[in-house]
Amino acid sequence: MAKLRSWDLFRMALRALLLQSTWNYERQQGVGWAYSLEPALERLIPDPRKRCERLAEHTAYFNTQPTLASVALGVAAALEERREAGAPIDAAAMTRVKNALGSSLAATGDRLFWLTLRPLAACLGAMFAFGSLARGAAVFWLCYNVFHLSIRFMGVGWGYRGGPELVATRLRGGLERLTEWAGLAGCVVLGVFNAQLIAAGGTPRPLVFQLVLLAGIGVGFVVAQRPRPSATEWALGAAALCVTAAWARGA
Amino acid sequence: MSSPLGSWEGRLIGTIALGGLAALDATPVAQTLLSQPLVTATALGALWGDWQTAFEVGLVLQILAASTLPLGARTPEDYSTGGVVGVALALMAAQRIPFELYRQSCALLGVIAGLTAATLSVPLLKWQRRRHEGLSRWCEAAVRAGHPGALAAAHRAAIALAFAVAVAYCALWMMALPLVAGIAERESLRLSRAWTLAQPLWIGLGLAQLMHAFLQRRLARASLYGVALVVAWLVLILGTP
Repeated sequence: MAKLRSWDLFRMALRALLLQSTWNYERQQGVGWAYSLEPALERLIPDPRKRCERLAEHTAYFNTQPTLASVALGVAAALEERREAGAPIDAAAMTRVKNALGSSLAATGDRLFWLTLRPLAACLGAMFAFGSLARGAAVFWLCYNVFHLSIRFMGVGWGYRGGPELVATRLRGGLERLTEWAGLAGCVVLGVFNAQLIAAGGTPRPLVFQLVLLAGIGVGFVVAQRPRPSATEWALGAAALCVTAAWARGA
Repeated sequence: MSSPLGSWEGRLIGTIALGGLAALDATPVAQTLLSQPLVTATALGALWGDWQTAFEVGLVLQILAASTLPLGARTPEDYSTGGVVGVALALMAAQRIPFELYRQSCALLGVIAGLTAATLSVPLLKWQRRRHEGLSRWCEAAVRAGHPGALAAAHRAAIALAFAVAVAYCALWMMALPLVAGIAERESLRLSRAWTLAQPLWIGLGLAQLMHAFLQRRLARASLYGVALVVAWLVLILGTP
């Protein structure tokens, strides 16, 4: 019976970088998922006809947070290996596991990557950008990708070795702890960044700047309570207001 | 404000190509955040040799982009091309006249152009996603027919489409340069006044989104934020020992 090698897992992780290339409303990451799983199926299923049938099954609907998709891919590869070894796993069972993994990892991953790490990295980057824009960009990129790229490349191996049980227990707990700590770090970084905004380089900014910043934060809190209009649309409205105010004041 | 990185046309081509690369990083390839305004503003600042304008425009766009999230099937505003368009237009226009009020006007118009480009890009992204529905159906049929190479072909096609659309979109926006520079030149005094109001207002709007995400109406987190703010402010004002 064929077993997956580290090289196969690495190829899967590389292909998982393209997971969202063909994202669509019907199958979401389905085609990207099948493409990422192909190296594992190439190793496990020598018969090309059977392999194509299995690949076609995997082009069906799948969606999760893209970084943690690597873990789900590893789990799916492990299940495919057991399936080829004769375990009673059919297409329907595989779909059920994929859906369960997808929603579970999306819930954890969205909170960690989109709602915590990305804003944290942006605040840190913006803070460092006051000294040097290039340094700010480097801090921003590194802060996010230390976690993002590590999990993307190691996640396939974790999922393969740990199976579905890993996601349900240790991994989920670990990621939730990381989210909590990153959230706390975010509060501190945001506080320091705010201080830097109102007293850049130790000199307090003009009162008008501070008052308008405060007004912006006040409006922003109202905006944050509802999805529409979005913050971008509010920002465009604010631009119209400021230009009108400048015109009203005259040259 | 000169850059050692080639002719004006060469830098323009570099800017448009950066728009295409940023669009690839945003969704189709890797999502490493190279597409975020702070990073693309750095590349553009180096390309056009004006770090101050790149920082000011990039910072505002980044603060607003940080809380614009691709959750679930939502298609959020596209700050990858918006960031490139906004910063690039501000930098290119600001090169014409070395005058502070004019530079601030360019920064204001750059941010407005960036926000508009990010918003108008959403229908284009949705269009691409609908095109991918047909592509994925074709892909499944081809794989079932015994052609596993269809998977790679579908990915190549989708990546090429995303790059081409973003490059065309950025190129189209670059045609607004004479308009941006003309308005900034005629109305630099009023626009620079608007910038002094709009810059903190935009940053405040974005900061509130981030505070909402981090504090989550939890007293312990709000206290941590408050303590960090006061301590950092004191350190900045009184100076480090």
